[in-house]
Amino acid sequence: MRAFQTYERRRRSAGAAFVAPALAVLALILAYPILDSIWLALQRVTLKAGQVERTWVGAENFHRLFNDETALRAIFNTAYFSIAEVVLVVGIGLGVALLLNNAMGRSGFFRVVLVIPWAIAPVANAVLWKWILNANYGVLNGVLTSLGLIEHNQVWLGTPTMALNVLLLVDVWKSIPFVALLMLAGLQQVPKVLYRAAYMDGAGSFQTFVHITLPSIKTAIAIAVVLQTIWSLRVFDLIFVLTRGGPADATVLLNFLAYRVTFNFLDLGYGAAIANLVFAATFILAIIYIWLLKPRRRVAAS
Amino acid sequence: MLHKPTRRGLLQGAAGAGLLAALPDGLIRSAFAEDAALNVFGPQPPDPAPPGAAQFAIDLFDKWKADNKASVEYDLVAWPQLHDRMATAFASGSAPWDVVYMSGWVPEFATSLRPFADKLPASLVDDMPPTSFATTTWDGQVYGAVFTLSLLTLFYNTEHLAEAGLDGPPKTWDDLLRYTKELTRDGRSGWVANYGDPAGIGGTASQWMCFLQQAGGKMYGEDGMPVFDSDAGVDAMQMMVDLMDAGTDPGSISYVGINDATNVLLAGRASMQMNWPFMWTAAQDPEQSQIVGKLGGAILPAGPAGSASIDGTDAWTIPNSSKNPEVAQSLIEFYLDPVVQKQQAIDTGWLPIRLSTLADADVQKALPNAKVVLEQASHPYDSFVTPDYNEVTQALGTEVQKALQKAKTPAEAIADASELVTAIVKRRS
Repeated sequence: MRAFQTYERRRRSAGAAFVAPALAVLALILAYPILDSIWLALQRVTLKAGQVERTWVGAENFHRLFNDETALRAIFNTAYFSIAEVVLVVGIGLGVALLLNNAMGRSGFFRVVLVIPWAIAPVANAVLWKWILNANYGVLNGVLTSLGLIEHNQVWLGTPTMALNVLLLVDVWKSIPFVALLMLAGLQQVPKVLYRAAYMDGAGSFQTFVHITLPSIKTAIAIAVVLQTIWSLRVFDLIFVLTRGGPADATVLLNFLAYRVTFNFLDLGYGAAIANLVFAATFILAIIYIWLLKPRRRVAAS
Repeated sequence: MLHKPTRRGLLQGAAGAGLLAALPDGLIRSAFAEDAALNVFGPQPPDPAPPGAAQFAIDLFDKWKADNKASVEYDLVAWPQLHDRMATAFASGSAPWDVVYMSGWVPEFATSLRPFADKLPASLVDDMPPTSFATTTWDGQVYGAVFTLSLLTLFYNTEHLAEAGLDGPPKTWDDLLRYTKELTRDGRSGWVANYGDPAGIGGTASQWMCFLQQAGGKMYGEDGMPVFDSDAGVDAMQMMVDLMDAGTDPGSISYVGINDATNVLLAGRASMQMNWPFMWTAAQDPEQSQIVGKLGGAILPAGPAGSASIDGTDAWTIPNSSKNPEVAQSLIEFYLDPVVQKQQAIDTGWLPIRLSTLADADVQKALPNAKVVLEQASHPYDSFVTPDYNEVTQALGTEVQKALQKAKTPAEAIADASELVTAIVKRRS
């Protein structure tokens, strides 16, 4: 027994020694910036004589954040954007996955076409949409006018509500492929025998979907929800290229605000406070994601 | 006799290279004292780029490098990325450049720049408009030299005006509103602007600053606090709202860059626009313009106090971190040489800053708008740059956007903007 304990201790020591370099690298490239960012958020940081000058201000930047009209609007916009995006992407993604899982949709061609929006580089995607949505000579206005659906050109990014929702739809368009493929993988894991049993029991298509399909892919859905929420918090390039946060700050999300305050206004402390808020939300979602991926023991049915 | 490469030879070579790299900078530089390696940070063409970056005065540039035993590397980025790259580099304390382009950011980065411009030769300074150093001066120190006279002026489609029976460009605010109404027909707009991005030189706020000065107002008082919550401020905002109603391209509120609005004018889908001098050359290029030979230019229509504009403030500066400040200054003086300035104007469309070059017959023949810009320069053109210019114009421009969208009255928008800008200035103080 004693020999076993000694062996186990040596095995653990060797394991720790092997893992240590990786932990050191992680601490350097992840932990240090995160801790420094939190530290930065507690200071007023100014550029003087080519040097960064820091003054301790405690929670003042966070207090300012929750009293700043633009920041509050950004929090509201971000919450709306994330919730709407998750609902739309997961809903449409599931629909697309069901179509692809159907016998007629199994052609590789459809999957290749599906992946295109996801494969386009983010900035290229934003520039592409800039041309499509241009109020004067954009493709979308041209197509809708030629179809007789609109009489005059629409300014798709011209009003606060319209601009935010158009950005949302563009991001949904880009995000659907990954979620659809994730759902498709989930659908292909559902044992066919369950569908046959449901059919034998006289279940209709809707009942089969609700009682067989959805429960079987609930982990895939949960993962899609968490990942999509994290990604929706990171939206930046679309806003930068298409609206710069306008009109009248209507499309400012927290991520973009953090960039604007940090790099445009050089208010590094306040920018770090905003970035930390985004980090906190992402961190919580990441924990949920890991928890969802954790293997669970099946509880035997009583 | 050729030597075979051996492992020992390679190791010795690598060790030598490593030793050289590890030597203190001063030692290396003394070893290669005859070569000054300059690094210039600026915008990519078609924005105002220097010789070698843009295609002009290449022979002269090569000669300057040979004469000064200097090499010049350009670090060019797209215009929207300039400020952020600079901010990051200056904040890190290791800006790797010897010459840096600025556009209204001198006060913001003044502590990272070298006040070299008071050492420029008198012959050069005397040949520049007296206001040339206004936007590069902060706390009494001159940190940069403007290299192009870049003021917003009026551009219009002569064919559209003729079709509408309008004789010559609008001269007053009333003319501008009337022209805009009359030119808004046949699926095109009388006026187009880029109101989508509130901040920065040329953004929504700075366009309002043109109208503010035309109305006789100014941004700041002697104590540095905002004074634009005035009749002039409200009149300027009201003029922009009226112009919107009269027939501004509705898409203007979504155009985030000057090029978005310029493309509308160049496509013949709008009749008038306030724009920078580069517009002239772009409009004469059939590959990007459908209005070749149909562009006219004039000074901006006068408000109650006369015509006024803003300055693009394109300037060269030298950061404190430059290892070759003397050679860097010499390079800036080369960029401002009369012959280089002339080629800059003729080949790129960016006007010279030198008055003698602006008056040059060849320049005026190639760029008929040179006279217009020179005339515009006889009126006020303050850009009101401060260390927090981006934050101020972001707050102000957002309020202008709210007024343009009728979410606020001009008076409410100006009052709110004044409150926001006051808070920003106080925070800086």
